[in-house]
Amino acid sequence: MADQLYLENIDEFVTDQNKIVTYKWLSYTLGVHVNQAKQMLYDYVERKRKENSGAQLHVTYLVSGSLIQNGHSCHKVAVVREDKLEAVKSKLAVTASIHVYSIQKAMLKDSGPLFNTDYDILKSNLQNCSKFSAIQCAAAVPRAAAESSSSEKCEQSSLQVSSETPANNELTTNGHSPPTSKQIFQQPKGIMGMFASKAASKTQDANKETKTETKEVSSTGNKPPGKGNVMSNFFGKAAMNKLKVNLDSEQAVKEEKIVEQPPVSVTEPKLAAPTGLKKSSKKAEPVKMQQKEKKRGKRAELSDDETKETENMKKKRRRIKLPESDSSEDEVIPDSPGDYEAESPSPPPPPSPPPEPVPKTEPEPPSFKSSSGEKRKRKRVLKSKTFVDDEGCIVTEKVYESESCTDSEEELKMKTSVHRPSTMIVKKEPKEERKVPKKGTAALGKANRQVSITGFFQRK
Amino acid sequence: MFSEQAAQRAHTLLSPPSANNATFARVPVSTYTNSSQPFRLGERSFSRQYAHIYATRLLQMRPFLVSRAKQHWGGGVQVKKLCELQPGEKCCVVGTLFKAMPLQPSILREISEEHNLLPQPPRSKYIHPDDELVLEDELQRIKLEGSIDSSKLVTGTVLAVLGSARDSGKFLVEDHCFAELAPQQPAPTLDTDRFVLLVSGLGLGGGGGESLLGTQLLVDVVTGQLGDEGEQCSAAHVSRVILAGNLLSHNTQSRDSINKAKYLTKKTQAASVEAVKMLDEILLQLSASVPVDVMPGEFDPTNYTLPQQPLHPCMFPLATAYSTLQLVTNPYQATIDGVRFLGTSGQNVSDIFRYSSMEDHLEILEWTLRVRHISPTAPDTLGCYPFYKTDPFIFLECPHVYFCGNTPEFGSKIFRGPEDQRVLLVAVPDFSTTQTACLVNLRSLACQPISFSGFGAEDEDLGGLGLGP
Repeated sequence: MADQLYLENIDEFVTDQNKIVTYKWLSYTLGVHVNQAKQMLYDYVERKRKENSGAQLHVTYLVSGSLIQNGHSCHKVAVVREDKLEAVKSKLAVTASIHVYSIQKAMLKDSGPLFNTDYDILKSNLQNCSKFSAIQCAAAVPRAAAESSSSEKCEQSSLQVSSETPANNELTTNGHSPPTSKQIFQQPKGIMGMFASKAASKTQDANKETKTETKEVSSTGNKPPGKGNVMSNFFGKAAMNKLKVNLDSEQAVKEEKIVEQPPVSVTEPKLAAPTGLKKSSKKAEPVKMQQKEKKRGKRAELSDDETKETENMKKKRRRIKLPESDSSEDEVIPDSPGDYEAESPSPPPPPSPPPEPVPKTEPEPPSFKSSSGEKRKRKRVLKSKTFVDDEGCIVTEKVYESESCTDSEEELKMKTSVHRPSTMIVKKEPKEERKVPKKGTAALGKANRQVSITGFFQRK
Repeated sequence: MFSEQAAQRAHTLLSPPSANNATFARVPVSTYTNSSQPFRLGERSFSRQYAHIYATRLLQMRPFLVSRAKQHWGGGVQVKKLCELQPGEKCCVVGTLFKAMPLQPSILREISEEHNLLPQPPRSKYIHPDDELVLEDELQRIKLEGSIDSSKLVTGTVLAVLGSARDSGKFLVEDHCFAELAPQQPAPTLDTDRFVLLVSGLGLGGGGGESLLGTQLLVDVVTGQLGDEGEQCSAAHVSRVILAGNLLSHNTQSRDSINKAKYLTKKTQAASVEAVKMLDEILLQLSASVPVDVMPGEFDPTNYTLPQQPLHPCMFPLATAYSTLQLVTNPYQATIDGVRFLGTSGQNVSDIFRYSSMEDHLEILEWTLRVRHISPTAPDTLGCYPFYKTDPFIFLECPHVYFCGNTPEFGSKIFRGPEDQRVLLVAVPDFSTTQTACLVNLRSLACQPISFSGFGAEDEDLGGLGLGP
């Protein structure tokens, strides 16, 4: 009979293989409903005991029912050994169910092995764990793999959207922490990049990546940095650091950073540098940047759109951000100029600076534009300039000056270079003016020279 | 109740196998709405001060307290602000309470070099007979004295006091009142029994194997594997399972990797990794059979400050395949089949326990309901996000079932409010120590504990099962 098969099976499991046969284990192994498995076990026990009263079978039962305890009626579910069964049953006020839990050859000291058996069989049947259960739930339908992955993406994007569209609790000062942390995170990479490679362009690229990440809005898009690299080849190493300064303050909070990778990496081999390390670190950065960029918010995107056309017109912008913002009258700066230690003023004027520096730096780019377009000869001369600034401090500064055709351009350049030191002085003590030349130098860039330990950190 | 209903069917399992075995369909979800939106945080900014949360709390609670004060002490009672107080004049003032506790751990005192103090060891209660109460409103603060018991009150409570200002500059209190319960929607009438299972403190990864069998038995009962047909039929009426926090054990939070040298801890995995894998399997079993809501708790991998955000679905790759799994915030608020549930994982109650003389967690739960605030001690002694527009922990509406997880023992009580509100208070016990969960019957709004046990070598008598004399 078909019925006898299961009896033989159970017999084999218990006696020959010395297994602990729990109802759940039997149900999965024979592929039967749990209740049927329980009944099978019971049947086996009865028959075996009838045949051979000295049979070495130990049985555990499951008892459940209600009990009055501490004033409320508590429902108890317990796994008990056979010898305790009657005692437990008598204690319960209402017995809801009794059935065989498991059969095994040896006497069990505690219920640990029962759990292990159930756990093992469950692990191997995780996907259809409720197949033989007595309760089927219509709502529990596993999602299709595509659905779940798309829902993950939706969740991620909704998370980002929810973080982008600031809820009522938002202040724009939120921008503080992420950029700071990102900058700090990226700067070591910049430093490591400098150590890892020797070419100045490496540092330029690394710093560019660093800075572009930490700056906000007014994006450049891919072209200027790429072009900057290309043009740097025209100008040679001496000119490169100047470009570095320019690109320092570029802000490319855009996903096209990745598109930018090809032009950057194209220039890399030219400049003879270890590509692998740099590329991977850079690729990691843009990916992270992308994530962060997404979170940056619509502000970034909006202002990107605004400034995109103007940027496309200009190839390069010489943006020395802070001095400019200090000197700009209609710029909204919450704090005095003494506050621009790091990126602090950046968040409040994110939408304003993009249009702001655009006209401001208008004079600057033409110099480059004309130079790139017309192939003028431009000599870059390191000159020492001594002047008295606002506070009456005599400042000596070495600046690169390019002799260009128009006086105005040169003037402007001088102005900007003067601006920077003057604002720096305003910030610092006069006695620190000796640091100023160094910093100015570092900021304006000398090819490959690290003037001071702080030379790594570009002024922002 | 669950047991009685389960016992109604005949016992069939102590018999030879029958060909047909009954399968029961889980009760379908009739209505469910998750109203935890106020507890979800979008982009978070911590550059704000916490004073704003107190300001908005007082602003929101003031109208409730003024109306209660008028109810208690007559419509003619004068409600004044502290700046308008005249000495000797009897009036009512509404403000936030501050309890100055000398034993309260203060980080400033700890790091203060002039005192050279060692850090204070953690105590179970930080109250002291010398605690002082101060009432603060928008502009001023005043010390309270009189018939007001400081041991039962905690910082952050908004209340109304009736009394008069003394010449000494203190306020002599004659009586005080809380905002009491918020208005409540009437509970729906259901025609069949529907249950919601509340469990908390599964404590996975704790190292102790005894509770694992209990957890497995719990899952088996809910999914309909255990028990006779009657019990399985009753279990099919469990329409939802809410896991109220502390799914991982306290032991998974060991800080060895911080204190030990890196070369020692390099290859070791965090204890929570294994625990989360186990949790994933349990959630898979549950969500294959019943809708589950998972709330994070004190030891779970999510943020520390209240409101705790949902656990991330990437931790549960197996279980998130089912749409019945829902990861929710702590505190959690939802309407299940028309019955409003509100609950936390217990941090609010245990924090009030530390700073007041109340001993029973159920009593504290009731107290928070009467004060109309889920956790008044946040942000003073309990970490909290710096809200500034609204305080989401204020009860705007009174729930039908109000629970808190991870209490040392089970407790349940029906509380009646002044406007005929009826609330079922449930203190869900810690499962890893008590092996007890709670079954809430939505039709009758009653709660029955359900406990599980295995057997061990030491259970010679029935003490282990709780069935002893």
